[in-house]
Amino acid sequence: MGSGATNVLLSRDAARVGGARVEVIATPETTDLDGSHTVVSVPARGATLVETHELSKQYSGGVLAVAGLSLTIRAGEVFGLLGPNGAGKTTFLRMLTGLIKPTSGTATVAGGSPGSPHSLAHVGAMIEAPAFWPYLSGRDNLRLLARYCRLPDTRVAAVLAEVAMTEHAHRPTGTYSTGMKQRLGVAAALLKDPALLILDEPTNGLDPQGMVEFRNLIKNLGTGDRTVLLSSHLLNEVEQICTRIGVIRRGKLVTEGTIDEIRGGTELIVRAQPADQARLVLEKTYGADHVSVRDGAFSLRVDMSQTATIAKSLVMSGIDVTELRPAERSLEDVFIELTGTEGGS
Amino acid sequence: MLAAVRAEWFKLVRRRALWVTIGLMVALAVGIEYFLVYIVATHPPAGAARAGAQLSALRTGLYPDSVIKKSLANASGLVGIFALIVGVLAQGSEYSWATVKTTLVQLPGRISIVGGQLASLAALALIMTLSLFIADAMASYVIATIDGNSAAWPSVIDLLKGIGAAWLILYFLTVLGFGLATAFRQSAMAIGLGLAYVLVIENLVFGLLVNLGDTFKQIQEWFPIANAGYLQDSFGRASGAVAAAVAGPPPVDAAHAVIVLALWLVGVAAVSATLVRTRDVT
Repeated sequence: MGSGATNVLLSRDAARVGGARVEVIATPETTDLDGSHTVVSVPARGATLVETHELSKQYSGGVLAVAGLSLTIRAGEVFGLLGPNGAGKTTFLRMLTGLIKPTSGTATVAGGSPGSPHSLAHVGAMIEAPAFWPYLSGRDNLRLLARYCRLPDTRVAAVLAEVAMTEHAHRPTGTYSTGMKQRLGVAAALLKDPALLILDEPTNGLDPQGMVEFRNLIKNLGTGDRTVLLSSHLLNEVEQICTRIGVIRRGKLVTEGTIDEIRGGTELIVRAQPADQARLVLEKTYGADHVSVRDGAFSLRVDMSQTATIAKSLVMSGIDVTELRPAERSLEDVFIELTGTEGGS
Repeated sequence: MLAAVRAEWFKLVRRRALWVTIGLMVALAVGIEYFLVYIVATHPPAGAARAGAQLSALRTGLYPDSVIKKSLANASGLVGIFALIVGVLAQGSEYSWATVKTTLVQLPGRISIVGGQLASLAALALIMTLSLFIADAMASYVIATIDGNSAAWPSVIDLLKGIGAAWLILYFLTVLGFGLATAFRQSAMAIGLGLAYVLVIENLVFGLLVNLGDTFKQIQEWFPIANAGYLQDSFGRASGAVAAAVAGPPPVDAAHAVIVLALWLVGVAAVSATLVRTRDVT
């Protein structure tokens, strides 16, 4: 820590140090007494930006909201945290922003402990419904937040334009519709031009048209170097926006990967004649536990790299193979499979 | 911390409800403590038991030379209640609007934010104090002029001491309201309990306990509402509607009262800061 002096995010330059790209950001913790700035590196694209290890939160009532959640999010990703209502998504995000403290486990967010000025300097967040001072206009709400962060008012105008709210910025936020509040919430999260943008169920309460507009907005925000961590229980939303997802159930991460990885799984669909002989060959080769019949076809839980071997073994046994392809499950199928009957929509 | 002070002040000065509250506070203080008392003093009810000398004292107590006593009586009474409410509103609304989470994910850190809030409230308490003194001074001048008396003002030193004492009382009550709102994370409970404590609980409890022995009198000398009264009394007791009906000099001097009030102020602020720093925001 440098000193009590604060001088935050007024400069942001990119540089190359030892071949790796780093960003130079002035934060409170890196500002020395004389006002000079120490270089702090923000992870380059692909490097770890959020890392949690066995993170847990048990509320005083005994409810275990998050149970040993370990997760890594890399810079530049649009990461979707998917889970049914009550799965622990919001609690997890609150822990990442320092709003609540974990019962156990560790977390590092943008190189600092959650909620520390060092971490918050790189994080913009909208947790649940955005909350504003209702007697202030949209612009004054952002000006207020800019003062907390020592940002110039020009930054306010820029983020208002980015979320298409300039026209309504003079009105008190108490008169805003849900969609306008959501947009202003994103604008507030963008004020610091954060490396990590955390959005918790950002389309909640929006009408279908508003949801489409909002998704496009988030997609745009996720382009470039910015990392977006988005929580949602809306499958199509996550599918459309995110590059990688983690599915959370009862506070635990049940799977994590790209959408294709998660949706594709490790199943192969095989149609072959005669079916009895084909089944014998497949069960003998891969074990009966890995073979099931669905809609007149065999479903094999095997590594995709086995595709050619399977085809060869069937043909060599004199069996005609009419179809051999990876199973294309919808994200909804996977979600239901992973989270049981808890739903999601 | 400076960033948090600027932000908190930005927020406070734009909140019309606070200025309405302060305006109402000044109007009521002047209306009740000056003009209502003046009407009673100049138009006593028929058959009133008050002797002429008492009515005369009531009337001359409204003149400019008594403005410090009157303002301090107001600060310990009606205006103090408004100060408590202002403190509650400043923090309680943050919880009811859920803006506390909006604030805490910004940069300064929790302790700096509380520091900014308390510094802004200190400035607001000073504005309340000065508004009170200015309004009281104007009212006393008007009454003296109506009565055809020349306005004899207290010395500047006494005036500054009086303003300082009134500010300390009002700032303590503001911080007490802030602390209660922080503890309960809402306004309604904080206002209810705050009013009950300031108006009833401390006085009632010690009113009963002092009958059991001098030890309780000595304990009372370390409680805030009692010391607000002692500080007020150290400038002389005012005549009027809320004048203390206690005989004899205050049991402790002004320095003691200032120290005790300051200690309570710091204590409540420290507890508030600890609560904000350590508690989860759900």
